[in-house]
Amino acid sequence: MNGQALAARARVWRHAAERYGWVAGVWLLLGALLVWYATLIPRFGSFQMTSISKNSLPLVYLAIGQAVIVIAGGIDLSLGALLLLANALAARFMEDQPLTIVIGIALALILVVSLLNALTGYVIHVSGVPDIVVTLATGYVWSGLALSVLPSPGGGTAPGFRWLFTGAESGIGGTYVMPLLMMALPALAVFILSRRSRLGLSLYAVGSDRVAARLAGLNLRNAKVASYAIGGAMAALAGLATIAITGTGDPRFSVGANATLNSVAAVVLGGVALVGGRGMVPGAVAAGVILIMLNPILSAMGINPNNAQIIQGILIAGVMMIGGAITLWRERAA
Amino acid sequence: MKEPVPLLSTVRIAKAFGSVTALADVDLIVRQGEIHALLGANGAGKSTLVKILAGIHSFDAGALYVRGRPQAFGTPADALAAGIATVFQDPALIPDLTIGQNLRLSRTREAAFRHWLQWFDLARLDTSALVRDMPLETLRLVDLARAAAREPHLLLLDEITAALTADQAERVFALLAHWKERARSAILITHRLAEVMRVCDRATVLRDGRNVARFAREPAPARGVQPAEADVAETESVLRPRDEHRLVEAMLGAPLQRKQEGSSPLRAEETDIGRERAAFDVQRLASGDAVREVSFSVWSGEILGLVALEGQGQDRLFALLAGERRPTSGSILIDGSPRRFRSPYDAVRDGVALIPGDRLLALLPNLPVHQNLVVPLFNRIRRWLRLPPEEGPRAAEAIDRLSIDTRAAAQVRRLSGGNQQKVTVGRWLVAGFRTLLCYDPTRGIDVHTKQELYGLLKELAAKGAAILLYTSELAEIPLVCDRVLVMHEGRIVDEQDGAAATEASLLTAAHGLENPA
Repeated sequence: MNGQALAARARVWRHAAERYGWVAGVWLLLGALLVWYATLIPRFGSFQMTSISKNSLPLVYLAIGQAVIVIAGGIDLSLGALLLLANALAARFMEDQPLTIVIGIALALILVVSLLNALTGYVIHVSGVPDIVVTLATGYVWSGLALSVLPSPGGGTAPGFRWLFTGAESGIGGTYVMPLLMMALPALAVFILSRRSRLGLSLYAVGSDRVAARLAGLNLRNAKVASYAIGGAMAALAGLATIAITGTGDPRFSVGANATLNSVAAVVLGGVALVGGRGMVPGAVAAGVILIMLNPILSAMGINPNNAQIIQGILIAGVMMIGGAITLWRERAA
Repeated sequence: MKEPVPLLSTVRIAKAFGSVTALADVDLIVRQGEIHALLGANGAGKSTLVKILAGIHSFDAGALYVRGRPQAFGTPADALAAGIATVFQDPALIPDLTIGQNLRLSRTREAAFRHWLQWFDLARLDTSALVRDMPLETLRLVDLARAAAREPHLLLLDEITAALTADQAERVFALLAHWKERARSAILITHRLAEVMRVCDRATVLRDGRNVARFAREPAPARGVQPAEADVAETESVLRPRDEHRLVEAMLGAPLQRKQEGSSPLRAEETDIGRERAAFDVQRLASGDAVREVSFSVWSGEILGLVALEGQGQDRLFALLAGERRPTSGSILIDGSPRRFRSPYDAVRDGVALIPGDRLLALLPNLPVHQNLVVPLFNRIRRWLRLPPEEGPRAAEAIDRLSIDTRAAAQVRRLSGGNQQKVTVGRWLVAGFRTLLCYDPTRGIDVHTKQELYGLLKELAAKGAAILLYTSELAEIPLVCDRVLVMHEGRIVDEQDGAAATEASLLTAAHGLENPA
């Protein structure tokens, strides 16, 4: 009996290690980087915690949205542009408004951007044009719209709204509780939705094996639309977080393009397979924070920020190669 | 006496994919409480019919009735709602989810699922394991238990026993017997005729998209009232024990004629040159459960045929021979020395070329004929920077020799299937080869081009090439092959003389049955 029980326990552990190993590894890497950063600078305290957590909010949101879309077998190159659009609309309409109206605008923006991206998902499904092509095109459209809403950096929002995301009405200093809470709540909500609900499982199913999912009686269109709707909502949140952090709107194209690329990088580093069906939201969250943390770490090390991207690229490639080696080794052993 | 309304019936159902007619006219009647076998050779239309009944394909003409009510399924979910649950050849389970998650996804009640799992001695199955990590036979049983847990009126089982051990198959049959006792029905698609004889009450045989014969295990009850539809009245033959050969005859078409006259293949004495040594030698080659210790030799100047029903491991065998996969054990010898192919690149360097059944796998569809012909030459680095002048004439020569129709030469994908296949063969004429592996090269090709291709194969063999030819068209084996191997469940089970082989003898052996002496 003992032997069997032990074998069963060993199997459970092996399953857990295979399934959650990557996510755990990314979180460990984040922890290690935090500790390292703390030893690099003279004083590590709540100011740094606040700074890291609030600055990583936009990328973390985008990474969550991108993760859901990639898990369902797609990829969205318009997420950064949607961030721009939400940011520009918020800056334009929230300026000089009382907090209640600002909150109302924020909720409306989340809904509208989510619907826009759901429409993108619908178009992808109906037209059969690859995700990467459709979202590349819609990305240009949203970027252009953002520019026409807000032709130059400007606009503003309510101080209370800035506190919501940054923990300070001025956007400087303040408590790290708020940004962490704003990071954790949507992440947990999407994570639980994706792993526990039938909708979430159907996203994994469609991304994992379209044919089997169809044979199992799943609706491929609904899965595509739902994943893009979630991605759109997260992009809107990212746009709102950006205006809360900076206090103004910034419609420059490059901001959105960078954000899109970073979201893909975070998803890959977070262990979400670009072929779909594998990986989890928490991995993308940790990877998003890691990518943001690299900047202060490298500057604390005295490295020219211009070279930071080289390090970032090497890090992503190195981590992915380790992942590939582990997979290869496992297949050999099997 | 009135016959009860059948559980499921199709009336003159037809389905075409583009210009290919998959189902011409099929009447199928499944009564309540019976196990019904759906039989037919490769390409007879079985899988198309299954997909229509499962709601994956729509049908072009005819009608489908469930308990007398007309139905047209738009999605697999519609078929399930009508009480038809299907277990496909490839399990409809999501590889990256656990079994438990798959059950939740398909709204399967776990208690019911567990109940049916007990039939397979899998009660302790770990539902938290990923589908990806489980063996195929377990997945098929899981898929079956899931289908049964939906309590359908009709179970549609496509080659359910193909991946199972004998013991597991017995358990499936026990479940089917129980299923029948509960006045429910099942359709069994299988190549194993022994199973049909044991567990099925009735059988419908398809050939070329039509139902050509019906069998019933016992004398059919007296029929007072003829059903309304004309073709349904066709009488059923009574199937007695040891009547498997009648099923084979029905699959083939009634007259079991001998091979055609006047087109005898090149005989051994004409091609004595390379006989002393095998050009291509396979020893105890194995790959998982798909290919089990296969050994054979192909001689220079010989066309060796290979015959198998669908899914007997022939595709895996070709993948091993062409260097696409590495074998679990066993070896491939070329001119007596063992080779280890790590990729098709290695195989091609040793003169082993593959002509795949799906031509578009091998061709570069958007490039012109000429470039498709010379592409293997790009392997030689010294040619990377230019297309040397001698290649133009060589390509032209191949086009000439194969009489490739070059009217649409700018893009290979615009050529007809037959012309495309000629290009895939012509490529190796240009590049040179010693062993040619042909995997169903005449699939979907018209008769004339077929003859041209076979003529070419014979000519190549006469010049000393070794050719392995797998074909699903049994009638062609005696026309081209010197010897034929028959593969069944991953093993070579029979070898016949090419000229003496008949469709009947090959099909019998391919079903794993002994040919009467």
